[in-house]
Amino acid sequence: MEKRWLQLVIKMNKKGFLQISFAWLFAILVGAVILFLAIYLSTKLIRTEQTSIGAQTGKEIGILLNPLETSFETGKTTSLTLPVETRIYNKCNNNGIFGNQIIQISQKSFNKWTETDIDIAFSNKYIFSEKYVEGKKFYVFSKPFEFPFKVADLIYITSSLKKYCFVNPPEDIEEELLDLEQQNLLIEDCSDSKNVMVCFGDSNCNINVNYYAKYVEKNNKKMYFEGDTLMYAAIFSDSDVYECQLKRLMQRVENLALLYKDKAIFIAETGCHSNLNLMELVNIAGGFSSSEELYEMNRLVEDIKEKNELAECALW
Amino acid sequence: MCIMVMKRKSDKRGQLKIQQMAFMLMAITLFFVLVGMFVLVIKFSGLKESATELEEKNAMLLVTKLANSPEFSCGGAFGSNRINCVDADKAMMLKENMHKYINFWGVSNIEIRKIYPKADSDVICNLGNYPDCNIIKMRPKEITGYDMSNFISLCRKEFSGDEVYDKCELAKIMVSYEKK
Repeated sequence: MEKRWLQLVIKMNKKGFLQISFAWLFAILVGAVILFLAIYLSTKLIRTEQTSIGAQTGKEIGILLNPLETSFETGKTTSLTLPVETRIYNKCNNNGIFGNQIIQISQKSFNKWTETDIDIAFSNKYIFSEKYVEGKKFYVFSKPFEFPFKVADLIYITSSLKKYCFVNPPEDIEEELLDLEQQNLLIEDCSDSKNVMVCFGDSNCNINVNYYAKYVEKNNKKMYFEGDTLMYAAIFSDSDVYECQLKRLMQRVENLALLYKDKAIFIAETGCHSNLNLMELVNIAGGFSSSEELYEMNRLVEDIKEKNELAECALW
Repeated sequence: MCIMVMKRKSDKRGQLKIQQMAFMLMAITLFFVLVGMFVLVIKFSGLKESATELEEKNAMLLVTKLANSPEFSCGGAFGSNRINCVDADKAMMLKENMHKYINFWGVSNIEIRKIYPKADSDVICNLGNYPDCNIIKMRPKEITGYDMSNFISLCRKEFSGDEVYDKCELAKIMVSYEKK
């Protein structure tokens, strides 16, 4: 009898043990689900937050570049300092009437670059830089682009971590660079091998500028230019960015030329005549495909510019 | 008999414990969900606020430079290069082509309002009544939301007798943006 009693107690204890272990198992399972969900949602939230900060920073950078577009800011360098290490991706497309300047921002978080696919697009900005510029401090300067009328102010962005050393530049370029007082643009002082060498008339540097044949050679690619504004654009940007932005500039030339053509007809009613060949410019700018065409186009541009200066009523 | 009662009692206690735990876990889950929703609501309201702030900042900085952008500026058409000068003839042509420039400046509307010499009433400009009008509205819709303005000189070519001369008046350029 006593033996049977003992067996029963043991059996019961075993069942009790099973009940406790089931409760624990249940708690552990549900707890794990809750913990997993909490961690998953937190990670998602952090990513959303990082994307939102990236988008906000991108938009803010674009907005802060607004004052640089005015003509009286020309030739002046400003700096942009961000609280954390940042990569500014410079993208461009030719969609629509004016194309788009796209900025993407990636910031360092826990020693890793955050991934972002949020595009901040602007139609009225033309930024020339490498595919991405990296650092905490960025130098920004702008120059107006006239072809033959003022088309836009081109914005050049460089990182303070990258120094450009200009060797044998023409006198006016040297003067302009000295006036800019931009700390990462050096002249002749090229002791550090890390510097990006920009040589005028030499062909063994990182960037070679042929000022008279009007092209910049960079990474074995030639980018053609007309005027100093486009020369700086070619120096500071990748060929893909340069060609795309140049095409966007031509889209704006086309539309501005149409605007001036309409204005010419409109003011002709008041007896104010200006006989400019703007339709030819519209057609050439509309079919523009690469910087190689700049030289040919420049002949027409110079002709229109001269005629506008001599016109009874200047259009611009 | 006694053992059977003990077994049933311990079974019931076990079930009760599981129920208690299930309720507790549900309560904890619900708590986390509510906290999460609260955080999300705060975050998204903050996002909307910063979007509006950015719009405001854009409008503020844009209005100071808009008169100098090639689509508006006088350039050298009225003698020497002028700053904050809008070519009214060009602005009228821009108004006619505004469909191309819908999202170009990232604002909802742009308006130029002549302020001196003062007009008796507000007359919106079109190709029929120009230059005898005082408001050039880039888009026909009313200025809604918030607006920022800046003083400019508004110049045009005027014809008198057999002579064409430059006429400049004091005006205000206004850009408006919508609240997000």
